[in-house]
Amino acid sequence: MPLPSRVVPVAALAFAGAILALAGCGVSAENGGREYRGAALAQAIPRPSFTLTDTHGQPFDFRAKTDDTVTLLFFGYLNCPDVCPVHMTNIAAVMRGLPFDVTRKMRVVFITTDPARDTPEKLQAWLGNFDPSFIGLRGTPEQVKAIESSVKVAPSVAAVPDSSGSYEVGHAAQVIAFTPDDSAHVVYPFGTRQADWVHDLPLLAQVK
Amino acid sequence: MNVQWWCSARGVPWRWQWQPYPGVWLAVLALGAAYARWSTPLAGTHANTTSAGRRVGGWVAVALVWMALDWPGGPLGTGYLASVHAAQFLVLAMIAPPLLLRGIDDNRVRALLDRNGVAAKIIRVVTKPLVAALAFTIVMLATHTPDAVDTLMRSQLGAFALDLAWFLSGLAFWWPVVLEVPVRVHFGPPIRMLYLFAGTQAHLYLSMWLLLGDLPKYGVYELAPRVTGLSALEDQQVAGGLLLTIGGTYVLAVISLLFFRWFAEPQPEV
Repeated sequence: MPLPSRVVPVAALAFAGAILALAGCGVSAENGGREYRGAALAQAIPRPSFTLTDTHGQPFDFRAKTDDTVTLLFFGYLNCPDVCPVHMTNIAAVMRGLPFDVTRKMRVVFITTDPARDTPEKLQAWLGNFDPSFIGLRGTPEQVKAIESSVKVAPSVAAVPDSSGSYEVGHAAQVIAFTPDDSAHVVYPFGTRQADWVHDLPLLAQVK
Repeated sequence: MNVQWWCSARGVPWRWQWQPYPGVWLAVLALGAAYARWSTPLAGTHANTTSAGRRVGGWVAVALVWMALDWPGGPLGTGYLASVHAAQFLVLAMIAPPLLLRGIDDNRVRALLDRNGVAAKIIRVVTKPLVAALAFTIVMLATHTPDAVDTLMRSQLGAFALDLAWFLSGLAFWWPVVLEVPVRVHFGPPIRMLYLFAGTQAHLYLSMWLLLGDLPKYGVYELAPRVTGLSALEDQQVAGGLLLTIGGTYVLAVISLLFFRWFAEPQPEV
């Protein structure tokens, strides 16, 4: 049965409203009176517990290995033409300019949403181009989807391969920033500038 | 194929695949037609006031404008690389205008000014050295602010307006240096040299601002998928370097040329 013509726009508005509420309507969160430039979350996301495989083939216990750090978690894939390399480039460029006191307690974790093509070697080489300290993780599509669900981002979806066999993977475009209090209060959507990271990363590191 | 009439930032990954830009072709055709008319000697006059070399220089300028605006330079400069954007500025505002003005026939301009129509009145006002230098400086600084670039480059109309503003302000700025009409008795070679030096100080400031910045200034280039191995900041530093070296050397060369010509002129005996 076709939906009444008013239902679709109303549903779309309601959905958009829910998303904006979750993202704090784009209003920056505060940390000790200083505002973040990232999008504040109305409800903090707890640091998830999961174990995936790192680029050396070793199990990586996310919660244990990132405990008491600022952890920037991102879902993406190596053939991503725009969002992933831009995010990684900007974070790496900013981290190079930050004091060691700030960066030594920071982790950047990249979970591939395309494990079929992103082999451990390729993942390590690709991340190493940005910063050798970036951590690449792989898991089964089901494991990755479960983690995406736990951190409240849209599940990644692989498109149908074209005639040459290549395909794109739809994935969440935001970087989730977990702070030492084991929660994420802010996310960084695509469009976050280096100036924003320079402003926010030291603030995130101060959260206790 | 998604046809755009003018290059603008689209945020999609760069591909070395030719794209047509019909608006650019029309603009370059219009410029070429106007230049062909204005570089041809006016009927009834005995000789052209410009040389063959100067006329060829004007056609080189038309070709440079075309290269700056059409694929691949146009889309690279509007949506991907600040360095190409800087090269476009150099072509449209600094290099093409004086080459075009040198190629046009003074008699035609004189005849236009003698008719004293609307065009003549506008030309008289906008080519007054103070007005031209001020307009050139304001346009140069305003169109390089991050807000202006990030806003204008995202639409075809905005990118077109920016290119047009550079070209027109460049024409007005170089006019009093290159053309002898309208006659300005007090605007001799020493004042022209000073005018060029003073009028391009903002250019120097702009190039240093880009060269020495520790973060990318423009979101449109920072967030664009990379085309080269350069980071957004390195690309911005190349842009500043181009403005400083090519632009600075060019202005210095023109000032030197004016000086040596003036020096070679027979001086009145005291």
